[in-house]
Amino acid sequence: MSKTATGLRRVGRPALAALALLLAAGARADTLRVIDLAIRDARFQPTTLTVPAGEKFKLRVTNHGPGVEEFESVDLNRERIVPPGRSIEVYLGPLKPGRYRIFGDFHPATAQGEIVATEHK
Amino acid sequence: MATVLFIVWRESLEAVLVIGILYAYLARLGTGRRGRAWLWAGVAGGLALSAVLALVTMRIETDLQGRALQYFQVAMMGTAAALLTQMVLWMHRNGRRLKGDLEAELDRAVGTGSLLAVGVVALLAVAREGAETVLYLYGLGLEARHAGAWALGGSALAGFALALATAWLVARGVRFLNYRTFFRVTGVVLLFTAAGMLVSAASQLIGMGVLPALVDPVWNTTWLLDANGRLGTLAAALTGYRPRPSLMLVLLYAGFWVFVLARLRRAPPDSAAPTRAGAAAPAPAPERP
Repeated sequence: MSKTATGLRRVGRPALAALALLLAAGARADTLRVIDLAIRDARFQPTTLTVPAGEKFKLRVTNHGPGVEEFESVDLNRERIVPPGRSIEVYLGPLKPGRYRIFGDFHPATAQGEIVATEHK
Repeated sequence: MATVLFIVWRESLEAVLVIGILYAYLARLGTGRRGRAWLWAGVAGGLALSAVLALVTMRIETDLQGRALQYFQVAMMGTAAALLTQMVLWMHRNGRRLKGDLEAELDRAVGTGSLLAVGVVALLAVAREGAETVLYLYGLGLEARHAGAWALGGSALAGFALALATAWLVARGVRFLNYRTFFRVTGVVLLFTAAGMLVSAASQLIGMGVLPALVDPVWNTTWLLDANGRLGTLAAALTGYRPRPSLMLVLLYAGFWVFVLARLRRAPPDSAAPTRAGAAAPAPAPERP
């Protein structure tokens, strides 16, 4: 037990410092650009959303109903439930330029879309 | 309807697998009815928590509430991953001892703390995907009020039954393995489950802006195994496989395996003859975050 405690103390301080740094980085991020995506009748609007590459931003997903949806992207490693009439915000980026598939996991037949990250022109 | 069946099967599979393996562990530990009571209590608690979480998700109004729920989910997955890893490491150290006539002593060695851990893992495994499944079926139920609610319910039940059957097959299958292989196979399955939970928890934190993605994505292995396909979805759910991971995910995933492999090497399976002192070896206690 005491060995574990010493180990914890040894690891603890740098780990705490790292955590504090990360939290600070997270808190700083609140002036980010917000990009909107809508879900209506189990479809994305727009189905292709262009976003800036190499920049952190917030994606606001609003579900206009009628059903519950889960906004999901395997390419972007995100999944969030969006109840009808509500919005959720997901932090994304900085992304490499490219095409990232998104879908509604509760309606995969119709809710299909793409996020395209492009460099500034 | 095949989609409903598949989704319910996929969502329940992880929980059912974990519970099947815990059940087999308890049987090998000889904890009998006492152990199973903890396991089933955990499952029941997990079902209840799923319903509560589904309700909470539907009622979230503010950003702050949303973040609180996300932190809760992260804590659930982190705790489950830690407990699962600890269990596998404990089994690795003590597995050989579980042979035969030491059962009575082991029963005492496996204290209430360990059984509580088993119950908590079962609870978290069920609640993790349970709430999502509840919301999925609830949503579909609302939409299909007149069109085929029965077919929907049937498909959902069939998917769940299929998951149970899969777990039963796994439990039957591993019963015929010798001790060494049994602990190796189930250990690998549970460690991958833990790794998958860790990846999900980290993804959640990155999506909340709490952790940076660093480089997103580092690479793309969609050509090799597309996680949008059915096989890929399963791999993603059971192993934490991600075709386009961010650097943060790669570092955490690699860190997890380095940690686990180092611990496994440092504590080789106990091959010495079991002793009294050995049988009283510390049982895994729930880790305090």
